[in-house]
Amino acid sequence: MKSILKIALGIIAALGGFLDIGDIVFNTQAGALFRYDLLWAVALGTLGIAVYAEMCGRVAAVTGRPVFDVIRMRLGFGLGLAALIASTAVNLLTVAAELGGLAIVLQLLFDAEFSLFVVLAAIGLVIVVALLPFGGIERLFGYCGLLMIVFVATAINQGPDWGAVAHGFIPSFSSSTLYLYFVVGVFAAALMPYEVHFYSSGAVEEHWDESSLMENRLNAIIGYALGGVLACSLVVVSGYLFHPLGVDPADLGTAALPVQNAYGETGLLLALGGIMFCVGGAAVDSSFSASYNLAQFLGWEWGRYRGPKKAPRFTASWLVFLFLAMLVVLSGINPVEITEYSVVFAVVALPMTYLPVLLIAGDRSFMGDHANGPVSRTLGWAYFALILVLATAALPLLLATNGGGG
Amino acid sequence: MQSRRRRPGVAATAVALGVSLILLSGCGDLSRDELTRGVESIAALAAQGQLVANGVARDGTKSTYARVMAKTLGGEAEHEAEKLADAEPSPQVRPERNAAVQVATELAGLFSELQTFPGDEHHGALVEKHMGEVEAQAEALVERLGGDAG
Amino acid sequence: MNREPLSVAHRLLDEQILDSEGRRCGRVDDIELRGNPPRVTALLVGEGLYPRRLPARLRGLARRLAGPERWGANALRIPWEEVDEIGASVVLRGKAEELGLGGGDNPERWLVRRLPWN
Repeated sequence: MKSILKIALGIIAALGGFLDIGDIVFNTQAGALFRYDLLWAVALGTLGIAVYAEMCGRVAAVTGRPVFDVIRMRLGFGLGLAALIASTAVNLLTVAAELGGLAIVLQLLFDAEFSLFVVLAAIGLVIVVALLPFGGIERLFGYCGLLMIVFVATAINQGPDWGAVAHGFIPSFSSSTLYLYFVVGVFAAALMPYEVHFYSSGAVEEHWDESSLMENRLNAIIGYALGGVLACSLVVVSGYLFHPLGVDPADLGTAALPVQNAYGETGLLLALGGIMFCVGGAAVDSSFSASYNLAQFLGWEWGRYRGPKKAPRFTASWLVFLFLAMLVVLSGINPVEITEYSVVFAVVALPMTYLPVLLIAGDRSFMGDHANGPVSRTLGWAYFALILVLATAALPLLLATNGGGG
Repeated sequence: MQSRRRRPGVAATAVALGVSLILLSGCGDLSRDELTRGVESIAALAAQGQLVANGVARDGTKSTYARVMAKTLGGEAEHEAEKLADAEPSPQVRPERNAAVQVATELAGLFSELQTFPGDEHHGALVEKHMGEVEAQAEALVERLGGDAG
Repeated sequence: MNREPLSVAHRLLDEQILDSEGRRCGRVDDIELRGNPPRVTALLVGEGLYPRRLPARLRGLARRLAGPERWGANALRIPWEEVDEIGASVVLRGKAEELGLGGGDNPERWLVRRLPWN
């Protein structure tokens, strides 16, 4: 009985931690620009992260190898180093985006100088990480991230044309480069690499083994599916209110506006609170991922569970990454812009970290009976092909649409 | 060595000059399409502003949120006004361009007001109403620009 | 099990190394092969070995960043006899300090001592 409760709580934490600033920015913009037409891309991305995360979690549980251990082993030093450099750059951008987003939410709540909130946010994250064990950190951000359910409530409250919403789940194509850019963006925001770097390392942090495989599968199937519902609600809520008005949500505060419109101040506070915890949690996850990857690649001792004394280089690198990200935000670049770059570059780097895991997950000499079954194999390879296409198209589309500006 | 270097240098400079001339000449001209886009975004900003102002009017929002949103959106309206004012419009759309700048400036002013009184319901209601008028003006402008085609 | 054949060498390269206490202390950065037919006689660990793992064009830059190979400092030789078992990691018989490994995480190192929590 205890394990059912534990698994359920894990799923809830996965659900609450599903969204980050990339999802919020891209899904809100997608709804405003294209109403419900991109819901299929959100669903496709959600399934993709579920497949990828399940594989990474399974590999980590069975072999004890998180993603960058797999990468170093499978790609060797040279290629692995290239993957490390690319991933670190992307993760740093992501941390900066999340940190900037966190500062924006704090500013919306407390209205003081933005740079002050950037520093406070960074300090706050360090304090939270220092005080709580790994599981506690995940639960804090995961449970509080559930506040985002207010967006689902808002969508229902708005009473959109559900037929049109359902129609949005049928893939449609347009020659509009802006549309294609958002297909890539919405998908990529759902499949950010740091999520699986973190998830697989987290499996080791929580000492997963073969008995955790059921939990891993349920996290992926139920947790992420429900997370996809949250992501879709962002599109619906924005599409219903903003599309008819022609609003282009260029800033983070606009994402909460539909909730304020429906539920007043309470709704607004729930929405902003939810965004704060989602983005804050993602800042921790992405910064940890940068350190995990570095330490795992080089063979250092690593993990929150080891503590700063036993894993000093890992801990120091985490602080350095957080500090560097803080500098990027303080440089004055708009956090929403940083977000867009982080998502686009992430999908370009994605094939490098995806393929080694896919190969190991299907390799019986490593995984034994737990190697990819027909479903995981088919989906795994199908998504790899899709990711290659998107990775190739991402940068040209970014340039062609002038960064999503149209 | 020198003579081999010179030719590509001259060619590159010529290309650069040509490209910049094209770019510079293009930058100046505000076409009907660009102006329409600009006015549409003004209308959208006004619509967004109404939502924020409405929240203030019915005491259904947090004043810090309203103030920061008003500041951000007001900045965008001002930016739009400056962009349109700085550009050189093609002669047929000059009057519409001037009207657009006026509308954008008015909108920026309304956002300023909202920023100053983010908790005041009475002001919020007034701003909402005026923004509605601004939005209607912007939409009428869009109609005019679309109607004068050809 | 004094020496191991070439096929094992391939499997060993780039694996995580754990000492007898389960501490992570580096990865197998290179392998020493001796004899005819070649057999693994030692594991080589350290940043000094990175340049030789990179393509020739990058080696110069890497050597400038990682420094030259200094045996005993940034390049360590772990004799094959020290290997206890090979699984998802290479587990050694002895402790990291005895073998000179894991130095970077060693609390005695000057940089580590200066960290605020030490």
